[in-house]
Amino acid sequence: MSWQRYILAFVITAAIFGTAFYIAQRIDAERINEIRTTESNISIDILSSETQFELLGNSSCETISAHPVLSDELNTLASQLSVAESNLGDDNAEVIQLKQQYTLLELKDYVLLQNISEKCGVKPQYILYFYSNAGDCADCGNMGDVLTYMRQTYPGLRVYAFDYNLGLSALTTLKAIDKLNGQLPALVINDKPPVYGFKNLDQMLALMPDLKIATSTAASTTVKGTKK
Amino acid sequence: MPADIGQFGVYFALFIALYFEVFLLISYLEKKPAQKSTILPKRYPTVAMIVPCYNEEKTLAQTINSLLALEYPKDKLQIVIVDDGSRDNTRAIGESLATAHPANVIFYNKPNGGKYTALNYGIEHTTAEILGCLDADSFVAPDALVEAVKKFETEPETMAITPAMKVYRPRKMLELMQAVEYTFGIFYKKMFDNLSAVNVLPGPFSLYRRTVFEKIGLFRHAHNTEDMEIAFRMHANGLKIVNAHTAFVYTTVPSTARGLIKQRTRWSQGFLQNTRDYSYMLFNPRFGNFGMLVLPFSLIAFAAGMYTALYALSRIAFTVWEKYADASATRVPLYISPDQLSWFYIDTNMMLFVILAVLLGTLTAIVLGKRIADTEVGIKSLIAYFALFGFIAPVWLFRAAWGAALARESKWR
Repeated sequence: MSWQRYILAFVITAAIFGTAFYIAQRIDAERINEIRTTESNISIDILSSETQFELLGNSSCETISAHPVLSDELNTLASQLSVAESNLGDDNAEVIQLKQQYTLLELKDYVLLQNISEKCGVKPQYILYFYSNAGDCADCGNMGDVLTYMRQTYPGLRVYAFDYNLGLSALTTLKAIDKLNGQLPALVINDKPPVYGFKNLDQMLALMPDLKIATSTAASTTVKGTKK
Repeated sequence: MPADIGQFGVYFALFIALYFEVFLLISYLEKKPAQKSTILPKRYPTVAMIVPCYNEEKTLAQTINSLLALEYPKDKLQIVIVDDGSRDNTRAIGESLATAHPANVIFYNKPNGGKYTALNYGIEHTTAEILGCLDADSFVAPDALVEAVKKFETEPETMAITPAMKVYRPRKMLELMQAVEYTFGIFYKKMFDNLSAVNVLPGPFSLYRRTVFEKIGLFRHAHNTEDMEIAFRMHANGLKIVNAHTAFVYTTVPSTARGLIKQRTRWSQGFLQNTRDYSYMLFNPRFGNFGMLVLPFSLIAFAAGMYTALYALSRIAFTVWEKYADASATRVPLYISPDQLSWFYIDTNMMLFVILAVLLGTLTAIVLGKRIADTEVGIKSLIAYFALFGFIAPVWLFRAAWGAALARESKWR
């Protein structure tokens, strides 16, 4: 009986496990890179939209409605971040940084949306959704599912999801403006006072009677705050 | 990172499976099986092929005809049919075969006592140097006996020989699945031979020197797995078992899930009970690779198989329940997001790649088994194996464990 064979087999098996771990890590790193690229693209998109809006001024409403400026990639980014968060953990430094960046992009997009609606007299349909992954919001997973479905079904609807516990001063300001009391999940629908607690699809549709169903395929997305 | 503690058990099971595959592949690279040669034995010892049968009217004649077609001197070959009290037409068929071939075929009928009693009856009623067993639902290749006898001749310390087993004309899905299983079984058996750790002397065409029974006694009931127990007993007594990978035997396999589960439950339960009987060999270096590798790893694989099945089942049940509860709470209809088709959303955790490595190891074993014994394994068979085995095997593992725990004997037929 050769003990060397036993040891060699162990070493090779351990090496295969190590390789599997390495490949999984590399793919996660690739995902992070893709998220960074997406964020960078969105950042450029938003900057471009803002510049376009400022250049054209009030007379730009027709142009803007003919060429949508708000970044749909934000939706893709949301679902990508969800995957990264569940793979790497929500306490991962890189994930937190990406989320902060995502949150800022969402805020910029939201501000731009507000500006356009104010100057062009349009009434956008949007939801500011505040969730937590810290274990203090049992209903946030289900709320995220409802909003994900709504965003896919109603392309005119914009859902901005914010991690309530993310340490970001701009987000703190938004929370203060909307006078959130800390109860989660919290929803700010079309600039109305916050609504607290889980709402199922039927309740959400009752809260937003003006929503129109998609006539074409919408970009599919995941709203943050999904289950772990 | 593992999402739950249960995953650690699955990782352990995968590590064991992979370790075993790697170990056997190393063994293959160290000693590759030789090609079939045209050299003939210098001497042809007398051989008695014992065919125990119980209600085998459908296949007995074909089995005996395949033995009569063996390329072996007829004056050295005796075929002993032992009818273990069949209730069908087996006796009449056996008697007519003996009448038709009086020089080579002998027929005995005895009261039903189980397969091992039929084998022992045959052994006690012959004087041949080499004693072979052939289940009455199996058929041998014409040169199988010569190939086996050559092994006895070239390796005088060899006390028993196992063949390369193939599935006879697989057609149905379960038969195709088993064809793949038997193909990598050919690889496993050959590698166990390399390691001097062959763990079973199967009913279809195993051959023994008569001295084996003189030294360690006849077959025992052994929880209806006498072919496994005799291999364990031979290892316990330092008697060498060799695999003749060029000696082909074709066996019929269960074509229904019920039949397959019944057969495998008997094998698996027999394994557990025999391992318990020979537990002193476990992790005992005195018994070489059999005690250190094959026996413990088979036992661990048994437990790991049950654990993984339970884990997978619990995960599936939990996921279904969770989806149902979510759908009830959210009122969101079931839908598939086109997002999920992108590579980005494929779950590429470490376990996925370890599973792929284990599957690659299994596929390699199948390819090598195919090469060793020149077996046909088509895509349909591979699909049947990979799609079905994982669902069916846990059933007989649990049934066998339950039976062994209650010490309830499984049935031979």
